[in-house]
Parts: sequence; structure tokens; C-alpha cells
Amino acid sequence: MVAFNDIRDQFPILGQKIHRHPLVYFDSAATAQKPRCVIDAESNFYETINAGVHRGAHELASRSTVAFEEARTKVAKLVGAAYGEGQEEIVVTSGATAGLNLLATSFGNASQGRGGHEAAGFALKPGDEIVVSKAEHHSVLLPFQELALRTGATLKWFDLTDDGRIRSDMADEIITERTKVVAITHVSNVTGAITDVELIIRRAHEVGALFILDACQSVPHLDIDLHQMDVDFAVWSAHKMYGPTGVGFLYGKRDLLEALPPANFGGSMVELAWMDKPAQYMQPPERFEAGTQPVAQVVAAGAAADWMREIGMANIEAHERSITAELLKLNDIAGFRVLGPVDERNRIGTVSFDVQGVHPHDVGQFFDSKGIAVRVGHHCAQPVHRHFGLFASNRASTGVYNTAEEARQLVETADEVRLFFGV
Amino acid sequence: MSSDDFEQMYQEVILDASKNPHGKEQFALDVTSESSATAETGVQANHEYCTPGESHQFNPTCGDQVTVHVEVSDSEPRRIERLVWDGSGCSISTASLSMMVDLVDGKTVEEAMQLESAFQQLMQSRGAGLDDADEKEALGDAVVFQGVSKYPMRIKCALLGWAGLKDSLAKALAAS
Repeated sequence: MVAFNDIRDQFPILGQKIHRHPLVYFDSAATAQKPRCVIDAESNFYETINAGVHRGAHELASRSTVAFEEARTKVAKLVGAAYGEGQEEIVVTSGATAGLNLLATSFGNASQGRGGHEAAGFALKPGDEIVVSKAEHHSVLLPFQELALRTGATLKWFDLTDDGRIRSDMADEIITERTKVVAITHVSNVTGAITDVELIIRRAHEVGALFILDACQSVPHLDIDLHQMDVDFAVWSAHKMYGPTGVGFLYGKRDLLEALPPANFGGSMVELAWMDKPAQYMQPPERFEAGTQPVAQVVAAGAAADWMREIGMANIEAHERSITAELLKLNDIAGFRVLGPVDERNRIGTVSFDVQGVHPHDVGQFFDSKGIAVRVGHHCAQPVHRHFGLFASNRASTGVYNTAEEARQLVETADEVRLFFGV
Repeated sequence: MSSDDFEQMYQEVILDASKNPHGKEQFALDVTSESSATAETGVQANHEYCTPGESHQFNPTCGDQVTVHVEVSDSEPRRIERLVWDGSGCSISTASLSMMVDLVDGKTVEEAMQLESAFQQLMQSRGAGLDDADEKEALGDAVVFQGVSKYPMRIKCALLGWAGLKDSLAKALAAS
């Protein structure tokens, strides 16, 4: 039995009051708070290790490189990816958005013949199809929409059920022999629904398409094994999994990373560079890590990954599910509508809701006056809001530190909103 | 790291081997010259009844780079009939290449891979060295690299040539 009260005490930020109320933080889907061990890992790096990685013969450079590569291994273990020199499947990026743009840019480069015959499997041409869903974050939708525009490929998408789930049952119709790339979210950052990706992955591979998983909202909350899921690529960010901002990770099956042409060019990703000859690039993961990396933050993200594994992802999942059940009672308040599945099965504790007659920004301000932090707006996912006939909503999202009592407090506060605004 | 560790890394036998390395010839592109040949030269065997394999290896930390060239007999047991290399690097990588040539030139591919595995283990030992007396004996002078294995950033230097050997052997075997 994990003592989640003790875990909560590891978060220094949660001890404060906001507008004279104890802080109740329900915005972890935007960014999670950081436990002491993550904050310490980052400051300790600057106090004792700081130096460039993969460079220099001095002791600090050596320690820095070891710490950076150890962090890569810790992150790999969290998601069931391969690690060890020459086997790495985790690429450091500046965030999930950067990881998705990296893939889209790289596929675009392959479409222009870069990367040679080995990269031909990533190339797109007119008539090919890219498949996404209506539930995608703009970070998935836009890079691949632009890629379709650049290459002449057609963008297609999965529609959603009334309660906002991706229609995985339509996989055989939507994914066709012409489909080359399928990019789908594992968990919607608006509805909190867990996608039944198994059907989609199986169908994508049946037609020889690549499957990309947006794992931003699943890695922090669910026990994930990317090998077992058989995804080809996955992206997520460190700051939503209790790590620092400015860092994300791209997972790729090793053989795919080896064939993938680079997307960003510069230092630390090239073996030989000439004035009059094409350069010879390094092997993955370095091939995709041009420029100086956020080393301290990567090291701290590794500490976050270890910390999560120590608590146990299954324990985190169960703890948050009990809070989700409380949050879903929002749907029972008159004038409130939860956007997404209304029972806690196959979903996480990211609960978006509409309050009839009160603008999300006003709702958010009301919660804030009671010390409760929720997100308002379209959450960078406009199409899924249009699916519900809206442009913006309110969103409460759980983290490992939340309690059922906090959820009840949020629901009680919600109950007063419409009265306050006179609707 | 103490100065003892430092001296254990740069042992006399390593410094000597790096000054007069064995097996070094000029056949690969010269990375110090922009006008170095652009055309990929086909890999050719000097020996009859042999299949060649070549591998270019690069170490970004030092800027070491080496092209290893092997020729493997077509008849069983598959034997390394010729092993040469071209490149430039630090004293650790150069000495390691030189001792590798001494150790595996003329050996069967199987024997060479056993030596490669023993050397790999030595370099992963973090200064502890090898437990197996037979493996130690087989590596001969190359056991002096035990001192290098204490320096994580230099392990790759010592393994560079061996990585090239492994890869070029794989290419030669695949081509024949």
C-alpha cells in the first residue's frame, strides 16, 4: 500500500495558500508539479556535475555524459524501450511538440529523397494518406497536416463517438492500403478517454503504415510498455511526468530510428562535415539531437522516471481513478456537462466540462478565488471542442498528489458557480 | 581520478604502441583534407580467394576516426588473411588498434570474435579487469587497457578499432 499522503508531502509547491485558501492543483494535464527529488536532481547537477556532454576529456564532462545517458536509460525503462549503447530507442527533444515536428520534417526530407533508399519507407507522395483523429492536440494535427500539404498526401481522420471516444471500430475503413502514417493520441487531453489503440495499430501494420503514438497524457498516468504495444514511434514531454520543462522524448523502434533521416542539423549530430560533400551523420539517438541539449533537465527527468517507477504506475493509476470518480460527479450538477466518458473506466482523471451560461474564463476565475487551479480555453484542441459544439471549456486534471477530498471540494465549489454568476 | 589512475591509463606499452602502430596503411579518405577523394573507392581484396570487408568508425568525443579493412579466406575455417587500418586518433585508440592487429591478424574469425568479446568485457569492467585467467592470457599486452576502463569517456576510444573489426568481418562474411 502506497502512502499517497507522504507522496504529496514531497511537493514543496503544494504547501502554499492561494488567495488565503490551501492550493488545490487540478491542472496537471497542462504541467505537473515537481517532487523534491526532481528539483534536487536538477540543482545537484548544476552544483556538482555541470559540463558539456559527449565532449571533452575532463572529469566533469565525463560525469555529465554518464548522468545524461543514465537518464536516457531511466526514461527507457519507464516506457519499456530498449537502452544500452548502440540499442537506444529514446531520443531527447525539447518537448512532445518538437518530437512530432521532428518526425514530420524527417518524413518530408525522406519524401525528397534524403536518407537514401533506407529512408524510402518514410516517403510520402500524392495519393498516399496520413490518418489522425478529431481528438488530436494541435501538436499532432498541424505537423502532419502541413506534411500532407507539402507532399500532396491526403489527410484523413477518425471521427469520435458522442462521448468523445476515437472510433477505433472504424479502423478497417479509415486506414487503407494507401495509408502511410497514422498518428493518434493515446489519451485525449480534453476528454481524458483512453484510445483503444490496439485495433488501430494492428490495422496500420496490416497495410504497412507507420503508427505514431501521442503519449503525453498517458505516460504520466498509465503503465505503458511501448514494445508490447508495438508502436513505431511515440512522443511525450517530461514536464507532464513530474519532470522539468524544456524536455521531451521521442521513442522509435531501433531499426526505424536507424533508417530515419535527420530533421535538425548542426553540432553533435555529424561524424564528418565538408564544404563540398554531403555530411555523414551519426547513429541514433545523437543523429536527432543537434545542438546543446538541456542536460540538467534531462537528468532531472530521469529522476522523475525512477521516482514514478518506484511508486509503481499501477498504484498511480488506481489512486487517480478514485479521484476521477469524484470529479465525474460534476456531470450531475445542473447546467454542467462533462465532455467525455462519464464513468471512470478506460479514462484518466482529465475531466473537461462546460458550464451552461458561464464563460470558461469566468468559471476558472471563480475556482481560482477559492485556491483551485483548473485550466480554461480550448486546450490546444479545437476540433474536439467543435465536436461538442463548443470552442472552449474548463478542465480539471489529476496528478499523483491530488486527493479525493480535493475533488469533492472542487465539485462543491462548482456547484456555486452558476449561482454566483446569476444563471 | 588520482594521478595513479592517470598513469595506469597511459602505460608505457600504450604510449609505445601509439607511436609506432601496427597495421596502419594509407587507403582511406583523409579527413584532414577538403580535397580528399570524393568517389567511394570500391573495397578490394589484395589476397586471392579472400572476401574483403571495410568499416568506418567514428568517435565524436575525440574526433578519432578509423577505417578497418579485413580480408577473410573463402575456405573453411574462415581466417583473417589481412587486417589493416587507416585513420587518425588519440593514443588510446591508436594503441588499441595496433594491439588488435597483433592479436587477431591471421586468426580465424571465430578466434577473433572470442578476443573481441574478452576485450569488450575488459573495457566494461570499470577498472576491475577480467576474472577469467585464460581470457587474460589470450589478450596478452592488451590487458593494459584495464586502466583505461576506469575512464568512461575513453572506453569508446579503446573499443573503436574493435568495433571496426566486428563490423568489417560481418560485412566480409555477408558478402561471400
